[in-house]
Amino acid sequence: MTRRNGFALLISLVGTGGLLVVLILYAGTADALPVLAASFLERSIADAATVNVVSTVLLDYRAFDTLGEATVIFASVTGVSALFVGAHLTPKSRGAGILVERAIGYLAAFFWLFPVYIVLFGHLSPGGGFQGGVALAVLIILLNVVYGTERGSTVMTTHRLHLFEDAGALAFLLIGAVGIVQGSAFLANLAAGFPGGSPGSLLSAGAIPLLNLAIGIKVASGLATIFYEFLSTWSTTGSESTE
Amino acid sequence: MTAYEFAFLLLLALLVASALAAVLVRGYITSIIVLSVFSVLMAVVFAFLQAVDVAMAEAVIGAGFMTAVFVTAIAKTRRNT
Repeated sequence: MTRRNGFALLISLVGTGGLLVVLILYAGTADALPVLAASFLERSIADAATVNVVSTVLLDYRAFDTLGEATVIFASVTGVSALFVGAHLTPKSRGAGILVERAIGYLAAFFWLFPVYIVLFGHLSPGGGFQGGVALAVLIILLNVVYGTERGSTVMTTHRLHLFEDAGALAFLLIGAVGIVQGSAFLANLAAGFPGGSPGSLLSAGAIPLLNLAIGIKVASGLATIFYEFLSTWSTTGSESTE
Repeated sequence: MTAYEFAFLLLLALLVASALAAVLVRGYITSIIVLSVFSVLMAVVFAFLQAVDVAMAEAVIGAGFMTAVFVTAIAKTRRNT
């Protein structure tokens, strides 16, 4: 190890140590909730009929910020797609063999269940559209690894993924626009006339499950698109090959 | 020091150790696997701090998606060079 490496190691060690000390000291003192958090905890059920307060904050009080985050993911997918412009998906891998394929085939139903559960129960239990969407994307990647990208890319083509992503983003915006149509604010929840239902049941919380579903579809297809873009290559013989 | 605090400190130490190991270990694939271990530990820390939503996102993104993307990228670049 050179001297410079040792210096960098020392700096990172000191930095992590300091961060740890601050974190532990802070964790010891932070018992009382900040004012805003207490207010959120108190009014979540009355305002949005949602048991999971995190989801109330993300999709009701701060829904516009969530739209911004969704835009960030959209921009990153666009950026990766722009990097791989002119590249084609060349399916090569054949899969992981008959044993793994059969085993995953039996387990796949349960694997599907998990992201769908996280998305649909986002207003009741921890999780939500983003987490469930990423889990769904990882599941698509897993199926591609196990069954080979040759089969995977014919079932779930990039074209379909793009369609799904656009549909998710549009659905989010349309649900937000319902608020304006009803004479309330953009992305308003109960104020826009969405039925609140009884808090704690599956069909409750107004627009939050719908927004979760839209985000889940959008994130899953967007991240799966990134994976497919990473798999694609430039054709070495074609005229459009770049360096 | 209660058992809870001790477990939390042990977790933080493991976190630092796995982060260091991810940098110091030889080989890209090994480094990525250690990085996903780091992500799982980070998710447990978040769960300890009662931020279960963040823990779920960290576990799914760090251990699932990033590992897949890194492995794909390395498999792609190694073949061409």
